[in-house]
Amino acid sequence: MSALPMTLNTTAETETAKIARGLRERDMELLADLVERYQHRLVRYLLYLTGRREYAEDLAQETWIRVLQRGSQYNGRQRFDPWLFAIARNLAIDYLRKKRKAVAAVSLPNDRDAMLLLPSSDPSPFEAAARSEDAMRLAGRLQILPPLYRESLLLRFQEELSLAEMAQVLGAPTTTVTSRIYRGLAALRFAFEEGDSHGG
Amino acid sequence: MEGDKRFRELIDRSFVEEVSEDERQLIHDHIRDCDGCKRYLELTARTIRGLREFTFTSEADSNARVREILAHHTETMRQHNVQFKAWAAFAVALSMSIVGSALVYQVAKLLTVPMHFDTAQVQAGVLVFWLLPSFCSALRLLAAAAENRGMA
Repeated sequence: MSALPMTLNTTAETETAKIARGLRERDMELLADLVERYQHRLVRYLLYLTGRREYAEDLAQETWIRVLQRGSQYNGRQRFDPWLFAIARNLAIDYLRKKRKAVAAVSLPNDRDAMLLLPSSDPSPFEAAARSEDAMRLAGRLQILPPLYRESLLLRFQEELSLAEMAQVLGAPTTTVTSRIYRGLAALRFAFEEGDSHGG
Repeated sequence: MEGDKRFRELIDRSFVEEVSEDERQLIHDHIRDCDGCKRYLELTARTIRGLREFTFTSEADSNARVREILAHHTETMRQHNVQFKAWAAFAVALSMSIVGSALVYQVAKLLTVPMHFDTAQVQAGVLVFWLLPSFCSALRLLAAAAENRGMA
């Protein structure tokens, strides 16, 4: 009964070890394969984080260059995607810090996260990506939702990262991570409550 | 109301974290009699479903562009690495040639008396057979570094 999960687990370990070795050796074939597999998800994550398409594409390129330069730091003991997202997040925060020099002081345990509290006022890329009526209703809310909550929702419900993996990406304790998810969910749920009551 | 709040927290938790079978049953039993919490559960499920209904398309040439940039960076890093190694080898060779020359000269001086050489002969010997070849080797490494930079 337990043979299948064991096999899957072993395969996963081999896969991450292979990635770690390839990154250490700067194996171009492996890097091309990783780009093929993760670029789409990386751009999506950065889009949720920054709320701007052009930032997301630029930052994704920067992230891959960082992966190439610091590939030897990936130990292959955990999944590759949380490690990749953590790099992308640090780059995005530094980038936004440069872009928005005057940020209102917000009391957060981690000052770096203050960069992500300000919602973007730019045109919504979420509306363009909405593929259902419900998604369209959420799109407007997502655009004004603080990116800190937006990224938590993405990592949990689209990337399906575990809370521990999310904590690794966000550099925050799991209690903080869950609290951000609940707050994000509450804000989005309001889109339906509001819409339904308006609709009668 | 306090009871509802507790159940709504449990409903949230059931979507985000692991809850036990007993807790799941508790929610199930509660929403049978509580319309408010039933609606809360439906809206939460609908929100999460809605979140999964976004499809972002990457720019068509996005992957190819990233691969190209990575290939360029890899080549640049490789060249920097080769140059660094050549310069490091030159530095090591140069210092070894200075230290080695001093040692060889001391040994040769000790052999002056038993071998019936004079000091000028020892100095000339060390210069021709040790110092010049070792400097030439070091310079050859330096030339290799310059050649690599030229190729870059």
